[in-house]
Amino acid sequence: MSTIAIPQDRRAIPTFSMPTDPASGAALDTALIMLALLAPTLVAMNIDERQLNSADIWMKPLHFQLSIFIHFAALVLLLPLINPAGRASRLIRWSMTSAATAAVCEIGYIMLQAARGRASHFNASTPIETVMYPLMGIGATIIVIGSFLIGVQIWRQGRTDIGAGLRLGAILGLTLGSAATLIIAGTMASGSIDGPGHWVGGVHSDANGLPFLGWSTTGGDLRAPHFFATHGMQVLPVAGFLADRLFGSQAPRAVWSATALWVALVATTFAIALTGTPLLRL
Amino acid sequence: MTWAALFSLANAIALLAWATLILAPRWAALLAAIRYGVIGLFCVAYAVLVLLFFFRVEGGGFGSLLEVRALFASDPALLAGWLHYLAFDLFVGLWIAERADARGLNRFIQAPLLFATFMFGPIGLLMTIGFDLIPRSLRTQDA
Repeated sequence: MSTIAIPQDRRAIPTFSMPTDPASGAALDTALIMLALLAPTLVAMNIDERQLNSADIWMKPLHFQLSIFIHFAALVLLLPLINPAGRASRLIRWSMTSAATAAVCEIGYIMLQAARGRASHFNASTPIETVMYPLMGIGATIIVIGSFLIGVQIWRQGRTDIGAGLRLGAILGLTLGSAATLIIAGTMASGSIDGPGHWVGGVHSDANGLPFLGWSTTGGDLRAPHFFATHGMQVLPVAGFLADRLFGSQAPRAVWSATALWVALVATTFAIALTGTPLLRL
Repeated sequence: MTWAALFSLANAIALLAWATLILAPRWAALLAAIRYGVIGLFCVAYAVLVLLFFFRVEGGGFGSLLEVRALFASDPALLAGWLHYLAFDLFVGLWIAERADARGLNRFIQAPLLFATFMFGPIGLLMTIGFDLIPRSLRTQDA
Protein backbone atom coordinates (compact mmCIF):
# COMPACT_ATOMS: atom_id res chain seq x y z
CA MET A 1 0.00 0.00 0.00
CA SER A 2 1.14 3.50 -0.68
CA THR A 3 0.03 6.05 1.78
CA ILE A 4 0.89 9.40 3.13
CA ALA A 5 -0.93 9.13 6.40
CA ILE A 6 -1.85 12.50 7.77
CA PRO A 7 -2.18 12.27 11.52
CA GLN A 8 -4.62 14.39 13.46
CA ASP A 9 -1.82 16.54 14.80
CA ARG A 10 -0.70 18.38 11.69
CA ARG A 11 2.70 19.10 13.09
CA ALA A 12 3.52 15.42 13.17
CA ILE A 13 5.56 14.11 10.26
CA PRO A 14 3.51 12.01 7.82
CA THR A 15 4.67 8.45 7.45
CA PHE A 16 5.64 7.39 3.99
CA SER A 17 5.84 3.93 2.54
CA MET A 18 7.09 3.18 -0.93
CA PRO A 19 4.32 3.29 -3.52
CA THR A 20 4.13 0.30 -5.85
CA ASP A 21 1.99 1.65 -8.69
CA PRO A 22 3.72 1.74 -12.10
CA ALA A 23 3.91 5.54 -12.35
CA SER A 24 5.57 5.96 -8.94
CA GLY A 25 7.81 3.00 -9.74
CA ALA A 26 9.00 4.60 -12.98
CA ALA A 27 9.77 7.85 -11.16
CA LEU A 28 11.57 5.99 -8.36
CA ASP A 29 13.69 3.90 -10.72
CA THR A 30 14.67 6.98 -12.72
CA ALA A 31 15.85 8.67 -9.52
CA LEU A 32 17.85 5.57 -8.57
CA ILE A 33 19.46 5.39 -12.02
CA MET A 34 20.63 9.02 -11.67
CA LEU A 35 22.01 8.28 -8.22
CA ALA A 36 24.09 5.38 -9.57
CA LEU A 37 25.42 7.46 -12.47
CA LEU A 38 26.62 10.17 -10.09
CA ALA A 39 29.42 7.83 -8.96
CA PRO A 40 31.45 7.62 -12.20
CA THR A 41 30.65 11.27 -12.97
CA LEU A 42 32.09 12.54 -9.68
CA VAL A 43 35.24 10.44 -10.09
CA ALA A 44 35.63 11.44 -13.75
CA MET A 45 35.37 15.11 -12.77
CA ASN A 46 38.44 14.76 -10.61
CA ILE A 47 40.50 12.94 -13.22
CA ASP A 48 39.44 14.29 -16.61
CA GLU A 49 41.34 17.41 -17.63
CA ARG A 50 39.03 18.18 -20.55
CA GLN A 51 36.87 21.28 -20.56
CA LEU A 52 33.92 22.59 -22.53
CA ASN A 53 33.36 26.35 -22.69
CA SER A 54 36.05 26.61 -19.98
CA ALA A 55 34.05 24.49 -17.52
CA ASP A 56 34.85 20.95 -16.43
CA ILE A 57 33.41 18.69 -19.14
CA TRP A 58 31.63 16.62 -16.44
CA MET A 59 29.94 19.61 -14.80
CA LYS A 60 26.97 19.46 -17.15
CA PRO A 61 26.27 15.72 -16.69
CA LEU A 62 26.54 16.33 -12.94
CA HIS A 63 24.02 19.21 -13.08
CA PHE A 64 21.56 17.12 -15.09
CA GLN A 65 21.93 14.02 -12.91
CA LEU A 66 21.31 16.03 -9.74
CA SER A 67 18.43 17.93 -11.30
CA ILE A 68 16.73 14.83 -12.73
CA PHE A 69 17.27 12.98 -9.45
CA ILE A 70 15.61 15.79 -7.50
CA HIS A 71 12.79 16.08 -10.04
CA PHE A 72 11.85 12.39 -10.02
CA ALA A 73 12.48 11.83 -6.31
CA ALA A 74 10.06 14.70 -5.64
CA LEU A 75 7.52 13.12 -7.99
CA VAL A 76 7.74 9.86 -6.02
CA LEU A 77 6.70 11.89 -2.97
CA LEU A 78 4.05 13.92 -4.79
CA LEU A 79 2.35 11.17 -6.81
CA PRO A 80 0.63 9.76 -3.69
CA LEU A 81 -1.27 13.06 -3.47
CA ILE A 82 -3.31 11.75 -6.41
CA ASN A 83 -5.90 9.20 -5.36
CA PRO A 84 -5.01 5.57 -6.20
CA ALA A 85 -7.42 5.38 -9.14
CA GLY A 86 -6.00 8.56 -10.65
CA ARG A 87 -2.45 7.35 -10.15
CA ALA A 88 -3.23 4.08 -11.89
CA SER A 89 -4.95 5.90 -14.78
CA ARG A 90 -3.57 5.43 -18.27
CA LEU A 91 -2.76 9.15 -18.50
CA ILE A 92 -0.50 9.17 -15.43
CA ARG A 93 1.04 5.78 -16.15
CA TRP A 94 1.99 6.69 -19.70
CA SER A 95 3.09 10.23 -19.03
CA MET A 96 5.41 8.97 -16.26
CA THR A 97 6.72 6.09 -18.37
CA SER A 98 7.44 8.52 -21.21
CA ALA A 99 9.03 11.06 -18.89
CA ALA A 100 11.23 8.42 -17.26
CA THR A 101 12.32 6.99 -20.61
CA ALA A 102 13.08 10.47 -21.92
CA ALA A 103 15.11 11.31 -18.80
CA VAL A 104 17.22 8.14 -19.01
CA CYS A 105 17.90 8.67 -22.73
CA GLU A 106 18.64 12.35 -22.11
CA ILE A 107 21.27 11.66 -19.44
CA GLY A 108 22.69 8.87 -21.61
CA TYR A 109 23.31 11.24 -24.51
CA ILE A 110 24.63 14.02 -22.26
CA MET A 111 27.17 11.60 -20.71
CA LEU A 112 28.09 10.12 -24.08
CA GLN A 113 28.80 13.58 -25.47
CA ALA A 114 30.83 14.54 -22.40
CA ALA A 115 32.88 11.35 -22.80
CA ARG A 116 33.48 12.29 -26.43
CA GLY A 117 34.49 15.78 -25.34
CA ARG A 118 31.65 17.36 -27.27
CA ALA A 119 28.67 19.59 -26.53
CA SER A 120 25.23 17.99 -26.24
CA HIS A 121 23.04 21.10 -26.45
CA PHE A 122 23.42 23.85 -29.06
CA ASN A 123 25.64 21.58 -31.14
CA ALA A 124 25.00 21.51 -34.88
CA SER A 125 28.50 20.59 -36.03
CA THR A 126 27.72 17.11 -37.38
CA PRO A 127 24.52 15.67 -38.92
CA ILE A 128 23.91 13.30 -35.98
CA GLU A 129 24.43 16.03 -33.37
CA THR A 130 22.16 18.31 -35.38
CA VAL A 131 19.42 15.68 -35.21
CA MET A 132 20.06 14.84 -31.55
CA TYR A 133 19.72 18.38 -30.24
CA PRO A 134 16.04 18.87 -31.18
CA LEU A 135 15.35 15.26 -30.09
CA MET A 136 16.64 16.22 -26.65
CA GLY A 137 14.28 19.18 -26.76
CA ILE A 138 11.38 16.81 -27.40
CA GLY A 139 12.58 14.57 -24.54
CA ALA A 140 12.79 17.53 -22.16
CA THR A 141 9.30 18.63 -23.20
CA ILE A 142 7.97 15.13 -22.43
CA ILE A 143 9.57 15.27 -18.96
CA VAL A 144 7.95 18.65 -18.26
CA ILE A 145 4.54 17.61 -19.62
CA GLY A 146 4.71 14.65 -17.22
CA SER A 147 5.13 16.86 -14.17
CA PHE A 148 2.49 19.30 -15.45
CA LEU A 149 -0.05 16.47 -15.75
CA ILE A 150 0.70 15.27 -12.22
CA GLY A 151 -0.05 18.79 -11.00
CA VAL A 152 -3.34 18.78 -12.93
CA GLN A 153 -4.31 15.36 -11.58
CA ILE A 154 -3.53 16.35 -7.98
CA TRP A 155 -6.01 19.17 -8.59
CA ARG A 156 -8.66 17.04 -10.35
CA GLN A 157 -8.24 13.66 -8.65
CA GLY A 158 -6.32 14.67 -5.55
CA ARG A 159 -6.76 13.04 -2.21
CA THR A 160 -8.75 15.16 0.18
CA ASP A 161 -7.24 13.76 3.37
CA ILE A 162 -4.04 15.78 3.09
CA GLY A 163 -3.13 19.25 4.21
CA ALA A 164 -4.62 22.01 2.04
CA GLY A 165 -1.27 23.81 1.90
CA LEU A 166 0.66 20.80 0.62
CA ARG A 167 -2.05 20.09 -1.94
CA LEU A 168 -2.12 23.67 -3.22
CA GLY A 169 1.67 23.95 -3.22
CA ALA A 170 1.96 20.73 -5.23
CA ILE A 171 -0.68 21.81 -7.76
CA LEU A 172 0.78 25.31 -8.25
CA GLY A 173 4.41 24.16 -8.18
CA LEU A 174 3.99 21.38 -10.71
CA THR A 175 1.72 23.21 -13.17
CA LEU A 176 3.30 26.66 -13.03
CA GLY A 177 6.84 25.28 -12.63
CA SER A 178 6.40 23.07 -15.70
CA ALA A 179 4.84 25.88 -17.73
CA ALA A 180 7.55 28.37 -16.74
CA THR A 181 10.26 25.81 -17.54
CA LEU A 182 8.75 25.24 -20.98
CA ILE A 183 8.63 28.97 -21.71
CA ILE A 184 12.17 29.71 -20.53
CA ALA A 185 13.82 26.59 -21.96
CA GLY A 186 11.85 27.12 -25.16
CA THR A 187 13.18 30.67 -25.41
CA MET A 188 16.68 29.37 -24.76
CA ALA A 189 16.40 26.61 -27.36
CA SER A 190 14.81 28.81 -30.02
CA GLY A 191 18.04 30.80 -30.19
CA SER A 192 16.03 33.96 -30.77
CA ILE A 193 17.77 35.79 -27.92
CA ASP A 194 21.45 36.17 -28.85
CA GLY A 195 21.44 32.43 -29.65
CA PRO A 196 22.39 29.74 -30.15
CA GLY A 197 23.09 29.18 -26.47
CA HIS A 198 21.97 30.27 -23.04
CA TRP A 199 24.18 33.34 -22.84
CA VAL A 200 22.77 36.78 -23.59
CA GLY A 201 25.59 39.25 -24.19
CA GLY A 202 28.72 39.11 -22.07
CA VAL A 203 31.48 36.56 -22.60
CA HIS A 204 30.11 33.32 -24.05
CA SER A 205 32.10 31.09 -21.72
CA ASP A 206 31.88 29.52 -18.27
CA ALA A 207 35.35 30.81 -17.42
CA ASN A 208 33.99 33.52 -15.11
CA GLY A 209 30.76 31.77 -14.21
CA LEU A 210 29.39 31.47 -10.68
CA PRO A 211 30.93 28.63 -8.65
CA PHE A 212 29.25 25.28 -9.35
CA LEU A 213 26.20 26.84 -11.06
CA GLY A 214 28.29 28.33 -13.84
CA TRP A 215 25.94 31.23 -14.57
CA SER A 216 27.60 34.10 -16.41
CA THR A 217 28.92 37.05 -14.38
CA THR A 218 29.59 39.14 -17.46
CA GLY A 219 26.20 38.95 -19.22
CA GLY A 220 22.73 37.46 -19.10
CA ASP A 221 22.37 33.71 -18.61
CA LEU A 222 19.04 31.97 -19.24
CA ARG A 223 20.17 29.02 -17.12
CA ALA A 224 19.38 31.09 -14.00
CA PRO A 225 15.60 31.57 -14.62
CA HIS A 226 15.47 27.97 -15.95
CA PHE A 227 16.86 26.80 -12.60
CA PHE A 228 14.41 28.86 -10.52
CA ALA A 229 11.44 27.90 -12.71
CA THR A 230 12.21 24.18 -12.73
CA HIS A 231 12.97 23.82 -9.05
CA GLY A 232 9.83 25.72 -8.10
CA MET A 233 8.28 22.30 -8.71
CA GLN A 234 9.93 21.17 -5.48
CA VAL A 235 10.07 24.44 -3.55
CA LEU A 236 6.33 25.23 -3.62
CA PRO A 237 5.21 21.78 -2.37
CA VAL A 238 7.76 22.08 0.45
CA ALA A 239 6.39 25.55 1.19
CA GLY A 240 2.89 24.07 1.31
CA PHE A 241 4.00 21.25 3.59
CA LEU A 242 5.57 23.76 5.98
CA ALA A 243 2.58 26.11 5.74
CA ASP A 244 0.26 23.32 6.94
CA ARG A 245 2.40 22.97 10.03
CA LEU A 246 2.97 26.67 10.69
CA PHE A 247 -0.23 28.41 9.64
CA GLY A 248 -2.96 25.79 10.01
CA SER A 249 -6.14 26.91 8.25
CA GLN A 250 -4.32 29.94 6.83
CA ALA A 251 -1.94 27.64 4.91
CA PRO A 252 -3.49 28.19 1.44
CA ARG A 253 -3.09 31.94 1.82
CA ALA A 254 0.59 31.43 2.73
CA VAL A 255 1.06 29.17 -0.29
CA TRP A 256 -0.48 31.75 -2.62
CA SER A 257 1.91 34.34 -1.20
CA ALA A 258 4.89 32.03 -1.65
CA THR A 259 3.75 31.34 -5.21
CA ALA A 260 3.50 35.06 -5.96
CA LEU A 261 7.02 35.58 -4.60
CA TRP A 262 8.32 32.67 -6.66
CA VAL A 263 6.63 33.92 -9.86
CA ALA A 264 8.20 37.32 -9.23
CA LEU A 265 11.61 35.69 -8.76
CA VAL A 266 11.33 33.70 -11.98
CA ALA A 267 9.99 36.66 -13.98
CA THR A 268 12.65 38.99 -12.61
CA THR A 269 15.58 36.64 -13.23
CA PHE A 270 14.16 35.92 -16.70
CA ALA A 271 13.92 39.65 -17.48
CA ILE A 272 17.42 40.26 -16.10
CA ALA A 273 18.82 37.49 -18.30
CA LEU A 274 16.97 38.75 -21.37
CA THR A 275 18.47 42.21 -20.97
CA GLY A 276 21.93 40.66 -20.95
CA THR A 277 22.64 41.51 -17.34
CA PRO A 278 24.38 39.06 -15.01
CA LEU A 279 22.48 38.03 -11.88
CA LEU A 280 25.61 38.50 -9.79
CA ARG A 281 28.91 40.12 -10.63
CA LEU A 282 31.89 38.64 -8.86
CA MET B 1 36.66 -20.21 -41.64
CA THR B 2 38.99 -17.43 -40.52
CA TRP B 3 39.10 -15.99 -36.99
CA ALA B 4 37.77 -12.72 -38.43
CA ALA B 5 34.79 -14.54 -39.94
CA LEU B 6 34.08 -16.30 -36.64
CA PHE B 7 34.24 -12.93 -34.89
CA SER B 8 31.69 -11.47 -37.31
CA LEU B 9 29.42 -14.48 -36.92
CA ALA B 10 29.53 -14.24 -33.12
CA ASN B 11 28.78 -10.52 -33.30
CA ALA B 12 25.80 -11.09 -35.59
CA ILE B 13 24.38 -13.72 -33.24
CA ALA B 14 24.90 -11.44 -30.23
CA LEU B 15 23.23 -8.54 -32.03
CA LEU B 16 20.21 -10.70 -32.82
CA ALA B 17 19.97 -11.86 -29.21
CA TRP B 18 20.18 -8.29 -27.89
CA ALA B 19 17.55 -7.07 -30.36
CA THR B 20 15.32 -9.90 -29.16
CA LEU B 21 15.93 -9.05 -25.52
CA ILE B 22 15.17 -5.36 -26.06
CA LEU B 23 12.30 -5.57 -28.55
CA ALA B 24 10.62 -8.98 -28.44
CA PRO B 25 7.99 -10.15 -25.94
CA ARG B 26 9.40 -11.80 -22.84
CA TRP B 27 8.28 -15.29 -23.78
CA ALA B 28 9.88 -17.98 -21.62
CA ALA B 29 10.97 -19.87 -24.75
CA LEU B 30 12.74 -16.80 -26.15
CA LEU B 31 14.55 -16.12 -22.88
CA ALA B 32 15.54 -19.79 -22.70
CA ALA B 33 16.83 -19.63 -26.27
CA ILE B 34 19.05 -16.69 -25.31
CA ARG B 35 20.21 -18.25 -22.05
CA TYR B 36 20.86 -21.81 -23.19
CA GLY B 37 21.15 -21.31 -26.95
CA VAL B 38 23.15 -18.14 -27.52
CA ILE B 39 24.97 -17.78 -24.20
CA GLY B 40 25.51 -21.54 -24.06
CA LEU B 41 26.96 -21.48 -27.57
CA PHE B 42 29.33 -18.63 -26.68
CA CYS B 43 30.46 -20.50 -23.56
CA VAL B 44 31.21 -23.67 -25.51
CA ALA B 45 33.05 -21.72 -28.22
CA TYR B 46 35.04 -19.88 -25.54
CA ALA B 47 35.94 -23.12 -23.80
CA VAL B 48 37.14 -24.73 -27.02
CA LEU B 49 39.31 -21.74 -27.94
CA VAL B 50 40.83 -21.50 -24.45
CA LEU B 51 41.52 -25.23 -24.23
CA LEU B 52 43.09 -25.29 -27.68
CA PHE B 53 45.06 -22.06 -27.75
CA PHE B 54 45.44 -20.39 -24.35
CA PHE B 55 48.50 -22.34 -23.20
CA ARG B 56 50.23 -22.09 -26.55
CA VAL B 57 50.59 -18.31 -26.46
CA GLU B 58 54.19 -17.39 -25.70
CA GLY B 59 54.35 -15.17 -22.59
CA GLY B 60 50.55 -15.05 -22.31
CA GLY B 61 48.71 -14.98 -18.97
CA PHE B 62 46.55 -12.95 -16.59
CA GLY B 63 49.31 -11.87 -14.18
CA SER B 64 50.20 -8.50 -15.71
CA LEU B 65 49.12 -6.13 -18.43
CA LEU B 66 52.16 -7.36 -20.39
CA GLU B 67 50.95 -10.97 -20.21
CA VAL B 68 47.39 -10.02 -21.18
CA ARG B 69 48.71 -8.00 -24.11
CA ALA B 70 50.80 -10.95 -25.25
CA LEU B 71 47.74 -13.18 -24.94
CA PHE B 72 45.61 -10.85 -27.02
CA ALA B 73 48.27 -10.66 -29.72
CA SER B 74 47.07 -14.14 -30.65
CA ASP B 75 43.92 -14.05 -32.81
CA PRO B 76 42.18 -17.11 -31.30
CA ALA B 77 42.90 -15.91 -27.74
CA LEU B 78 41.61 -12.44 -28.68
CA LEU B 79 38.46 -14.00 -30.13
CA ALA B 80 38.03 -16.02 -26.92
CA GLY B 81 38.30 -12.79 -24.94
CA TRP B 82 35.64 -11.18 -27.13
CA LEU B 83 33.33 -14.19 -26.70
CA HIS B 84 33.79 -13.81 -22.95
CA TYR B 85 32.46 -10.23 -23.24
CA LEU B 86 29.56 -11.28 -25.45
CA ALA B 87 28.50 -14.16 -23.20
CA PHE B 88 28.77 -12.30 -19.90
CA ASP B 89 27.24 -9.04 -21.16
CA LEU B 90 24.27 -10.94 -22.55
CA PHE B 91 23.89 -12.89 -19.31
CA VAL B 92 23.87 -9.63 -17.36
CA GLY B 93 21.37 -8.16 -19.84
CA LEU B 94 19.07 -11.12 -19.30
CA TRP B 95 19.40 -10.71 -15.53
CA ILE B 96 18.62 -6.98 -15.74
CA ALA B 97 15.57 -7.66 -17.96
CA GLU B 98 14.17 -10.31 -15.63
CA ARG B 99 14.71 -8.17 -12.55
CA ALA B 100 13.17 -5.16 -14.26
CA ASP B 101 10.14 -7.24 -15.27
CA ALA B 102 9.70 -8.45 -11.69
CA ARG B 103 9.93 -4.82 -10.62
CA GLY B 104 7.23 -3.82 -13.07
CA LEU B 105 9.57 -1.48 -14.94
CA ASN B 106 8.13 -0.54 -18.31
CA ARG B 107 9.87 -1.93 -21.41
CA PHE B 108 10.43 1.59 -22.77
CA ILE B 109 12.56 2.46 -19.74
CA GLN B 110 14.28 -0.92 -19.89
CA ALA B 111 15.39 -0.26 -23.47
CA PRO B 112 18.03 2.41 -22.74
CA LEU B 113 19.30 0.36 -19.76
CA LEU B 114 19.71 -2.74 -21.91
CA PHE B 115 21.24 -0.72 -24.75
CA ALA B 116 23.80 0.69 -22.32
CA THR B 117 24.58 -2.87 -21.18
CA PHE B 118 24.92 -4.01 -24.79
CA MET B 119 27.37 -1.23 -25.64
CA PHE B 120 29.26 -0.74 -22.35
CA GLY B 121 28.27 -3.67 -20.11
CA PRO B 122 29.20 -2.44 -16.64
CA ILE B 123 27.66 1.01 -17.22
CA GLY B 124 24.26 -0.59 -17.87
CA LEU B 125 24.70 -2.78 -14.82
CA LEU B 126 25.62 0.27 -12.74
CA MET B 127 22.46 2.06 -13.86
CA THR B 128 20.32 -0.70 -12.35
CA ILE B 129 22.40 -1.34 -9.24
CA GLY B 130 20.53 1.33 -7.27
CA PHE B 131 17.35 -0.72 -7.62
CA ASP B 132 18.60 -2.84 -4.72
CA LEU B 133 18.36 0.19 -2.44
CA ILE B 134 14.56 0.29 -2.69
CA PRO B 135 12.98 -2.99 -3.74
CA ARG B 136 9.53 -3.00 -5.21
CA SER B 137 7.35 -5.58 -6.82
CA LEU B 138 4.42 -5.40 -9.20
CA ARG B 139 2.73 -8.20 -7.29
CA THR B 140 1.65 -5.94 -4.44
CA GLN B 141 0.31 -3.21 -6.70
CA ASP B 142 -2.23 -1.12 -4.81
CA ALA B 143 -3.97 0.46 -7.76
